[in-house]
Amino acid sequence: MNETYWRSLGELEDSPSFRANLEREFPEGASELPEGVSRREMLMLLGASLSLAGLASCRRPVEKIVPYVTAPEEIVPGVPLRYATTMPFGRSAYGLVVESHEGRPTKIEGNELHPTTSGRSNVRMQGAILGLYDPDRAQHVRHGDKDATWAEFVAAWAELEKKHLEDGGASLALLSPSFASPTRARLLQEFKGRFPKARIAIYEPVSDENVLAATALVDAGTSSHPVLHVENASVIVALDADILGNDPEDVRQIAGFAVGRRAAIDGKPMNRLWAVEAAYSLTGAMADHRLRLQSRQIPAVVAALATRVLGGAGGVDVPGVEAKWLDAVAKDLKDNRGRGLIVAGPGQPDAVHAAVLALNAALGNVGTTVTYHESANAALPRRASLNDLVSAMNAGTVTTLVILGGNPVYDASADLEFAAAMKKVANAIVLATHVDETAKLAGWSIPSAHFLESWDDAAAVDGTLSVVQPLIVPLFGGKGATELLGLLATGKDQSGHDLVRQTWKPILGEAAFEKRWNRVLHDGLLAGSATAPVTPNIDRQASSKLAAGTANGIEVHFRPSPYLHDGRFANDGWLQELPDPVTKLTWDNPALLSPATAKSLGVADEDLVTVTVRGVSLTLPVTVMPGQADGTVMLTLGYGRKDAGRVGSAVGADAYAVRCSAAPDVDTATLVKAAGSVKLSPTQEHGSMEGRPLIREGSLEEYKHDPAFAQEAVELPKLESMWNEKTYDTGHQWAMTIDLNSCVGCNACVVACQSENNIPVVGKEQVRRGREMHWVRVDRYFEGAPEQPRMIFQPVPCMQCENAPCEQVCPVAATVHDDEGLNVMVYNRCIGTRYCSNNCPYKVRRFNFFNYTKDTPELLKLVQNPDVTVRSRGVMEKCTYCTQRINAAKLDARLAGRPLVDGDVKTACQQACPASAIAFGDLRDPSSNVVKTKADPRNYALLAELNSKPRTTYLAKVRNPHPDLAVS
Amino acid sequence: LNKLPLFAAVIGLVVPAAAIAGIWYYGSPKFTDVGYRPIQPVPYSHKLHAGELGLDCRYCHASVEISSVANIPPTQACMNCHRLVKRDSEKLALIRDSAATGSPMRWIRVHKLPDYAYFTHRAHVAAGIGCVTCHGRIDTMEVVTQMQPLSMSWCLDCHRNPAPFRRPVSEVTNMKWTAPKDAAALSAKLAAQNPVNPPVFCSGCHR
Repeated sequence: MNETYWRSLGELEDSPSFRANLEREFPEGASELPEGVSRREMLMLLGASLSLAGLASCRRPVEKIVPYVTAPEEIVPGVPLRYATTMPFGRSAYGLVVESHEGRPTKIEGNELHPTTSGRSNVRMQGAILGLYDPDRAQHVRHGDKDATWAEFVAAWAELEKKHLEDGGASLALLSPSFASPTRARLLQEFKGRFPKARIAIYEPVSDENVLAATALVDAGTSSHPVLHVENASVIVALDADILGNDPEDVRQIAGFAVGRRAAIDGKPMNRLWAVEAAYSLTGAMADHRLRLQSRQIPAVVAALATRVLGGAGGVDVPGVEAKWLDAVAKDLKDNRGRGLIVAGPGQPDAVHAAVLALNAALGNVGTTVTYHESANAALPRRASLNDLVSAMNAGTVTTLVILGGNPVYDASADLEFAAAMKKVANAIVLATHVDETAKLAGWSIPSAHFLESWDDAAAVDGTLSVVQPLIVPLFGGKGATELLGLLATGKDQSGHDLVRQTWKPILGEAAFEKRWNRVLHDGLLAGSATAPVTPNIDRQASSKLAAGTANGIEVHFRPSPYLHDGRFANDGWLQELPDPVTKLTWDNPALLSPATAKSLGVADEDLVTVTVRGVSLTLPVTVMPGQADGTVMLTLGYGRKDAGRVGSAVGADAYAVRCSAAPDVDTATLVKAAGSVKLSPTQEHGSMEGRPLIREGSLEEYKHDPAFAQEAVELPKLESMWNEKTYDTGHQWAMTIDLNSCVGCNACVVACQSENNIPVVGKEQVRRGREMHWVRVDRYFEGAPEQPRMIFQPVPCMQCENAPCEQVCPVAATVHDDEGLNVMVYNRCIGTRYCSNNCPYKVRRFNFFNYTKDTPELLKLVQNPDVTVRSRGVMEKCTYCTQRINAAKLDARLAGRPLVDGDVKTACQQACPASAIAFGDLRDPSSNVVKTKADPRNYALLAELNSKPRTTYLAKVRNPHPDLAVS
Repeated sequence: LNKLPLFAAVIGLVVPAAAIAGIWYYGSPKFTDVGYRPIQPVPYSHKLHAGELGLDCRYCHASVEISSVANIPPTQACMNCHRLVKRDSEKLALIRDSAATGSPMRWIRVHKLPDYAYFTHRAHVAAGIGCVTCHGRIDTMEVVTQMQPLSMSWCLDCHRNPAPFRRPVSEVTNMKWTAPKDAAALSAKLAAQNPVNPPVFCSGCHR
């Protein structure tokens, strides 16, 4: 426990500016009004108004009650309903249960029955509800510059169709994002049948086609894709693969990983994670051994591992990597045959994936830790198909182009010049969520319906079928991709509902169809529809075909934003303001450089740098990222949108500008320092641990030797209170534990809390001043040298101290304790002295410096939880342990005439957590999970020496280093 | 004799005292809210429907046992009877319009709690608090009037000592129910059968 933990390079160096910032409770200017542009920017952001409709008299405003005319049978005002549906995301399907208040969806949770989510969620799922109510969504069918109607489009298509039917669609082209949906797959087949000569391109800017190609190479024909079963793996080797972070299947993989982490606590073998990567990722942060290495050296690592594992001639050494390290990985894999898992990232070339498949197969891992499933019902991404399409467009052989979603004008590689090619197409028909970069150039643009508004279906990666069931009619008359594709494929305008049911008739059978269909809608999936794994053909010589990478120049990586993905979620304020899990930056995407690379270029944080790739330049700010491989620069996609909407336009830099279709994942760049700097808004330096042991971790050996190592890290003085303490020995006594051993730092809890508790978005300028409002933050700590530090995450909500320091200083008793141990915040009493925040040792209180919700568009108010007060200016707020959920669960149990049992109350963060790291429950219920976790010897309280008696405590992290490398 | 100091002292005491007393009384919900009696767009008579005709409260306020809100009935609920009864009454013109056009009625809220107070009907019905306890003798009101201040201290009076206000759950909607002679025995019986523990801390009602 002698490690030094640090939160940022500024803290490590203890620079004067860091000190000056730290010693202020609120940063300089925190209580000043934002001026000029920033003020206007702030008002444009979301929020909600509390203004009452005119004070006609001093007596009271007249308030109207507007009942239904004909009450819908299933709706009881005041009682939320929950429906199962599915969020399609690329070829992944997230099974959801969505809460709806009087027909208004407000909160998304995972569906416990669905294999992808099993009740948990990720950031994208949580943020999707805000996307539904985005006031900047496309609101009309448009023909050129004029508003039109869907019926007019259908008529126009009928004309176009006649012409294309004559020549089999030779001048017709369809561009679609990748999907996995039985209905859309069926319609695509029908479309091909109707227009056999039509050109079809499937394009995803963030593509896993290299992974698919590895099986197609040897399979020739259909392609199967891997499904990782991380829970079965004792040894995981992630090669440039962020399986716990930036991955469509993150929820399932994090859940599986957490199972293997917790195994140690139950006395079973604990898993071990090895990571080799260029830039820090969540997977690297969780790794027991992490090696920073340029991406182009990964093939050499695979070859070296193959030689060690399989024998034979091949590369043994990797420049810059200790042989001992590779020996240990190979030994670990060989010691755990059938329980190992090697994964390469989607940015690695086909050959690496083929070699990894061969390695996994040789070690007996295929079938246990990784299974392969046929990509039935799927349209697989192929970047080359877009290149071909653009060539055809430029050649003038495409007269009608239908874009079924996606935003190629923004996210196609810059060298393709998609916009110029699109202008050469006579009839461009675009289905788009917003009037975005692509829709602006369209002849016909059709508003795309949100998945909560339209009928569709989806197949999960393991083949499990589910239906996308709408919870609300399209707010702006949007159409789903299924409906537009249905029109193209059949020539008839059919509703999504009809199209999906047509597909499901043969799946469920004509007999008892309605009954089974209702069961599918109710459960959110077709039980037992997962496909059996297939055996992929394996090229056993694959590792000998690995080409060594060239090592000239600085390596540039393009990674999707962990939240905005390829840019499609750019107008989602929650996701923009969510700190990046690794850099902790909001509202921007600087170039990430290692400390040494930054030094050699003469740049520091916030300085501008010009990145030039194949003659094209992009100037953007720099963030120095400890632990990144030297000689690499990481660019994040999804920012720099021109036409995203009020929130997402002109935020950050557009990395697609320097992305070339020849090397879309990893390329070579030259970097030059540019004049000037840009202010960034990180959240990490708002506070410091001052050398106190907030993070406690130990190795598996230490844990086995002394399970209570964390509690012994601090010698507590005799804790005595200055007054008689209240006892908490009746009723429910709520408490929480957070398991640092499971937490991967993914931030799902932060957005889930934001969604549940009506937390406002404040904007970049406000975040820079330390005014972010998130009730739970995920602190990132580094440990070790800045070149290759380890990274640890710690989520920090309100600790709900029994001896709460905040309560002792509030002059108006606006923060007091309730009988169930909650430190409650009474908004209506708060006069905004901020004494409580000043006295809070954990820095978890958030102050409404402005009325952030005052100018919220009417539409955005619909997303708010009716069970939680919307706070106004001058009021302090903080985590409440989701007191509204506690109250509702208590009442539900009481009315059902049964006692409240463990699991009835789940906080929003706990429910979302993919790693199940959060336990919450009643301390007086001996069977509750929270009592069990509090009894874990790893349990410790933050700053216990202050005698604040926090109800939220932590379980120390246990690492599992390989015995051969234990010293390093 | 200079009377000014005395004068000043009296003024200095009386005026603030009067101001405090004035705000205390005239600013309190007892004065500002009790007796609020807005004229509704349709002169619906609770006296007729609930009193003379004896409709149960829950015929219209159907969700009172299961939801936080008792629910104002949909137009359809009026038309269930008025399709046949008083079909041409002028007073019902707005109701018929609403049913014909589908545009909802706009009633005026009488009993209003602040937005930061999360009152729930279902808990109170389950605890055996009669409608009449908070709403008064609705069955005698031609125009619904607020009878109680609905202030926080008024809520807490009952939350601190609910026993005198409780009745069997079966009698909740009975407007004419009176406590039996041996009220203490009933209280004890109710407390044993259906113990309640109403919250008296902030988070019970404020979130």
